[in-house]
Amino acid sequence: MRFAKIGLALAFSPRMKALLAETARLRKIWGAELVLIHVGNHTQQEEALLTVLLNAVGLADQEVKVLWRSGKPSEQILLACKNEKVDLLVAGALRKENLMQYYLGTIARKILRKADCSVLMFIDPTTDPQPIKNIVVNAEDSPYVKEAIASACEFGKMDRASWLHIVKEIKLYSLTMSAADQRTEDEYENFRNSLVKEEIENVEKMLQKIPHEGLKVNIKLVSGKSGFELSKFAQRKHADLLVVGASPRRFSLFDRVFPHDLEYIFADLPCNLLIVQPRKEVANG
Amino acid sequence: MVKLSQHEVMSLLIQLGIMLLAGRLFAEGARKLKQPAVVGEIIAGIMLGPTIFGLISPMGFETIFPPGSSSLVLDGFVQVAVVMLLFIAGLEVDLHIVLQQGRQAISTSFFGLVIPFALGFAFPYFFPDFFGYADEGKHLAFALFMGTSMAITALPVIARILMDLGLFKTRMGMLVISSAMINDLIGWLIFSVVLGMIGKGQQNMSLLNTVMLTIGFTALMLTLGRGLINRGLPWINKKFAWPGGLLSVSLAMCFLAAAFTEYIGIHAIFGAFILGVALGDSVHMSERAKEIIHQFINNIFAPLFFVAIGLKVNFVANFDLGLTAVIIIIAFAGKIIGSGLGTRLGGFTWKESLAAGFGMNARGAMEIILGLIALENGLINEKVFVSLVVMALITSMTSGPLMKWILNKP
Repeated sequence: MRFAKIGLALAFSPRMKALLAETARLRKIWGAELVLIHVGNHTQQEEALLTVLLNAVGLADQEVKVLWRSGKPSEQILLACKNEKVDLLVAGALRKENLMQYYLGTIARKILRKADCSVLMFIDPTTDPQPIKNIVVNAEDSPYVKEAIASACEFGKMDRASWLHIVKEIKLYSLTMSAADQRTEDEYENFRNSLVKEEIENVEKMLQKIPHEGLKVNIKLVSGKSGFELSKFAQRKHADLLVVGASPRRFSLFDRVFPHDLEYIFADLPCNLLIVQPRKEVANG
Repeated sequence: MVKLSQHEVMSLLIQLGIMLLAGRLFAEGARKLKQPAVVGEIIAGIMLGPTIFGLISPMGFETIFPPGSSSLVLDGFVQVAVVMLLFIAGLEVDLHIVLQQGRQAISTSFFGLVIPFALGFAFPYFFPDFFGYADEGKHLAFALFMGTSMAITALPVIARILMDLGLFKTRMGMLVISSAMINDLIGWLIFSVVLGMIGKGQQNMSLLNTVMLTIGFTALMLTLGRGLINRGLPWINKKFAWPGGLLSVSLAMCFLAAAFTEYIGIHAIFGAFILGVALGDSVHMSERAKEIIHQFINNIFAPLFFVAIGLKVNFVANFDLGLTAVIIIIAFAGKIIGSGLGTRLGGFTWKESLAAGFGMNARGAMEIILGLIALENGLINEKVFVSLVVMALITSMTSGPLMKWILNKP
C-alpha cells in the first residue's frame, strides 16, 4: 500500500519542528506530496515561523501545500484530509492522557478514532529522524489487516528494519481449551498444538502474498485481550512503530468505558502508531 | 461445636469418591459417543440415586447416602459447586468479543432471547395448571422463570460444537458465541430478579427493589468493581506466587461477591456470575489462569453437582411425558425461530441462520443449574424440574448433529 499524499496536522507547539522533520523524511522515502494543515490563527507571524521551520527541515524548496483553517481542530483536520484526498495523516500525540482527557478525548485521540484515512501518530518525534528498526504489526481480524501487514513490510524494507514482528491472537483461548477438555492427554496436546499451528499458517498464508524479501519476520501468537496484549508486546520489544488495521466502526465514549482492541492502545500508546486505512475510493478500486 | 462422627466423615468421603468416580466413568462414556460430559454425569447421578440404585437396593442406597449430617455437608459442597459454576460461566462472558461483534451480536441475541422468553412465559402464564403450578401468589414469577429457562444457552456446549464443525473462528461462529454471551448475561440478570421476587423466608422484595438492586449491583461491578480488579490484579500477579495467588484471590472474591448478593437479597449465584464477568474482562486475568480455573471447577465441582442432581430427584417417578414433550417443543421452537431470525436479519443465509438457531438451542449445564435453584426455592415442582433436565440434555445432544445436518444439506 502506497502513501502518495501525506498530510501533517500542524500546531505551533514545541514539537512542531520535530514533527516536520519526521514528515519530511517520510515524504522523501515515499516520494509523496505533502499537505500541511493548521487550524487556528493565520497571521504573518505564523507564516514567518512556518517558513523558518520549513527551511530548517529542508522543505523550503519543495512543493508543499499549506492549508489554514479555523473551527474545531479535529473536525477541520479530518475534513481537509478528505477534501485533499490525503492517504496518510501525520500528527503528534502524548503517550498517555489524564483521566479527564481520556474520557473527553484530545485532538490527537479524536483523529485516531475518527479518521477516514491512514494515520501515523508520533509520540516522541525528533529533529534528527532515524530509520525504523523494530516494527510490530497486528495480524488481527480487521478489514485492513492485509494492508496493515503490507504497509509494515514497506516501511521495514525502506528503512531496512532489523525485525518485523507479526502478532496474532488466539481468540477465546480459555473457552476453547475448556470446551476441549473432553480429550485424552495426547489429544489435548495435539489440539493445543493444532490451534497454534493453524494461526501461524494463517499468518504465513497472508505473508506469502506480500513482498517482504530481506526482512527478518517473527510471528508471535498471543492470547488475552487483543489490543492490550499487542501493546504490551510492542513495549517488550521496544518497537519504534506499531502498525494496526483500522477498526471497521467509529469508537464512542462507550468504548472508552468498556475498552477493547485499539482503545487499549489509544489509552497508552506504546510507541509511534500507524493505523492503516485505505481511502474509501482507493479501497473500492 | 457440632462435629461429624468418624462414621459420618467416612460416609462423606465415600460419597464424594463414588460420585466423582461414577461421574467420570459416565462422562467418558458420553465422550466416546461425542456427547458433552454433563450428559454422562447426569446419567451417573440417575444410576446412583433413587431412580435406579435406590429402586434396586433401597438398603444399599441408604447405607451409602444416609440422611443426616454427611448429607448436609454434601449439600454444602453442591451449593459451593453451583456458585463456582456460575463464576466460570461469568468468566466465559468476554465483553471484548461482544463489543467486537457490535450491533450484529445484539440483534441476534435479542431475537434469540425475546422469542424463546415470550413463548416460555406465555404458555405457563396462561396454562399454569398444565405445568403443575397452583400457587397464585407466585404465578408471574413462575412464568418469568419458565421464560428465562427457555432463553438461556450453554456457552461451552456451543463452543465445543462450533469447534468440532470447524466453525469456531468463522464470522458465524463468533456471532453465535457473542450472542450466547449476551443471552447468558441478560438471562441470569432476569433470573436474579425472579429469585428476588419470590424471596426467601421473610425477605420478600418488591419487583422494583429487586430490579434496582440487580441492575445497580451489575453496573457497579462492571464499572467500579472492574476498575478495582484492574488495579489489584497486577499487584497480585507481581507479589503473589502464580497461579496460586491469583486462584486463591479470585475464588475468595467470588465467594465474597456471592455472599454479598445473598445478603442484599439477590441470590448468591448472581454475585459469583457478575464477579466472573468483571474478573474475566480484566486485561490482567490471563487466559492461562482462566483455563486453570476452568479445569479445576469443571472436573471436580461440576461432576459433584451434576451427579448430586440425580441423587436428589427420582427421574422415573417424576417423569411426565406430556409436560416434557411440551417443554421440549417450546424450547426448540423458541430458540430456533428466535436465534435463526436474528441471524438471518444480520445478513446470513437461511441455512446459516438455521444452523445458528440449532447451535444456540443447546441449554446444557446452565439450564440444570437454573432448574435446581428454582426447585430449591419452591418455584417449580419436581416434574417440571425433570422435564427441564431432559430438555437440557436433549437440546445439548441434538445441537451438534442438527447443525451438521443443515450445513451439509445441498
